[in-house]
Amino acid sequence: MSTVNNPLGSIYISHRAIASIAYHSALESYGVVGLAAKNLAEGLSQVLVRDPVLGVEVEFENSAVSIDLYPIVEYGVRIKSVASSVSQNVKYRIEKDTGLVVDRVDVHIRGLRISNSD
Amino acid sequence: MSNESILTGPIEVSTTQKITLINGQTFKKLTEASLIWLKSNQQIVNSLNVFPVPDGDTGTNMLLTMQAAYNEIINSSEENIGKIAKDFAQGALMGARGNSGVILSQIWRGFSRALDSLPTLNAELLVAALAESRNTAYKGVVRPVEGTILTVINDTSVAAKESAANTDDLVKILEDCVVAAETSVKNTPELLPILKTAGVVDSGGKGLFYLLEGMLRYIKKLPLDGVAANVQELSAMNLEDTLDEVEEGQDVEVVIDFTPTSELNLDLFYQELSKMGTSIQVGEGDGMYRMHIHVEDGRQQEPIAYVGSLGKWTKIAMENLRAQMEGQKANKPPYELMPLEPGQIAVVAVSPGDGISRIFASLGVAAIITGGQTMNPSTEEILKSFEDLPTDRIIILPNNKNIILAADTAKSLSVKDVQVVPSKNIAQGLSALLQLEPDGDLEAVFEQMKNAITDVDCGEVTIATRTVDLDGVKVEEGKFIGLSNGKLVVSDKTIESTTLDLLKKMEVDKREHVTIFYGANITESEIDKIAEKIKKQYSEIEIEIHEGGQPHYFMILSVE
Repeated sequence: MSTVNNPLGSIYISHRAIASIAYHSALESYGVVGLAAKNLAEGLSQVLVRDPVLGVEVEFENSAVSIDLYPIVEYGVRIKSVASSVSQNVKYRIEKDTGLVVDRVDVHIRGLRISNSD
Repeated sequence: MSNESILTGPIEVSTTQKITLINGQTFKKLTEASLIWLKSNQQIVNSLNVFPVPDGDTGTNMLLTMQAAYNEIINSSEENIGKIAKDFAQGALMGARGNSGVILSQIWRGFSRALDSLPTLNAELLVAALAESRNTAYKGVVRPVEGTILTVINDTSVAAKESAANTDDLVKILEDCVVAAETSVKNTPELLPILKTAGVVDSGGKGLFYLLEGMLRYIKKLPLDGVAANVQELSAMNLEDTLDEVEEGQDVEVVIDFTPTSELNLDLFYQELSKMGTSIQVGEGDGMYRMHIHVEDGRQQEPIAYVGSLGKWTKIAMENLRAQMEGQKANKPPYELMPLEPGQIAVVAVSPGDGISRIFASLGVAAIITGGQTMNPSTEEILKSFEDLPTDRIIILPNNKNIILAADTAKSLSVKDVQVVPSKNIAQGLSALLQLEPDGDLEAVFEQMKNAITDVDCGEVTIATRTVDLDGVKVEEGKFIGLSNGKLVVSDKTIESTTLDLLKKMEVDKREHVTIFYGANITESEIDKIAEKIKKQYSEIEIEIHEGGQPHYFMILSVE
């Protein structure tokens, strides 16, 4: 839970809310086909999740937010570029929508989806 | 098939001649043309950026991706278009930069997959390849956003299919594709509201358009270097950023608003202007044009005369960029404020000089107001300093008894939660600042700061501006005077003797620490000499010396 103070009272932003923003902005990023569960056994780690909280880890350190994402990407894209644009996208959206500072976005590529081979 | 020509080598065909087959080497030439044309228009694509962060330089990213792709085939003499396209796509994949670069690499990947090592490309295959480009591009994202490069490749592939139903001429199909891409790019703001708000078209889509247009321009033997004759919406012209692009010798910026008497021939207009200078931009709105150019000092009359020959000018603005840039450098604050995290306690301090500002900044002050003994900042200035800070918890350190009142007024006027620590001098301000806990409770931090300022005494050494008999001290104009907590206590002929006398009056022998902030009107070596003397006299005391940069006061002494 993150707290932002304003003169009339406090605003609380939950982990889930931030996870949702991260989840949706990750899915809008080019190359990402879905998020995998963050803490499942290796064999299940390729299963795409529908609940944002399962695919995104949100931590608060002081008043800044740290994010861990577990995306599956399309086979054939340059993973490094996709990962860096996902992290930029997620950071940008969270900061813009919540006013919080995101100091870290770690992207853990959990797997590739192969829709057709060359 | 007598009317078919396989295009190899330099294109030696008239624009009306039909091309129905393309081989590997022609593919290489066409992609090279794409690359060059995108490079020429890179800045235009970059300027279409909407998001401040993601993919901030679409034009550059796409260009680097194209360059990496072309580098794969640069020495290739492969005649087989399928094979060379595969290498090209591989290069694009390896060199993909940024979001738009990745999408572009997928477009090429789909394209090359459809060619499947076939030796030549015909209309039917081109349609299939563009369709595959489109499909591959869309597969890379779960939620395709329309109004982007994806929409443009989609519209282009559809246009190719429609065109191929009527002709097998690849030039005609490419022409139709370029028209479709242009229309599609123009339509992107209708699909993506954020573009409309920003008054721009999609940058990635525009980049893709330049790639296609580059090929067509090559076939039509139009020049590929030099800036494209390009007209922007007046509202989208961003002339502020052009300052970064000032080239050596292009020191004067000229902006002219004008209404041409007859329709403006853009290509010619650009051509003429590029003879005069660089950073050319043209904008249009309601029949009025605005042109922007950087020229050499002394040549600023040329664009004015030229534009005057085309129509009627309404406004001319000129600026010396060199002077402006140097001015910007000189105006840089000599200190860097610490970034404030949202919601933290922000301390706003009044500082009389750069050196002291620097010390304040290094101790975590969020905003600095310049002012002091002789120039008290107004309530408005104080308010302004913290109004925009991303927090509602503010502590003000006035650091001068004459400013406390203005700070209190600022407190009562602000909607933010403001506390004023009644620091009467720099020494008090600094010791209060040491109590700062940015994430602490505002009340608690405020109380701590208030307590801290009572532990410190402040001595000041300056020069008397008139002859006076005050608090039992005789002062002559032009003599040095020493003040203890704002009260006149000593006066003497030299700075040194005045300082030593002042310290004695302040009972420094009972204290532990003296910090000296020396002013703008005294040199470091003079201060060192005085400090030596103080050390001799008070060997038990720790002395610290800082450049304060304050006007009028030779020294501000913080005694703890």
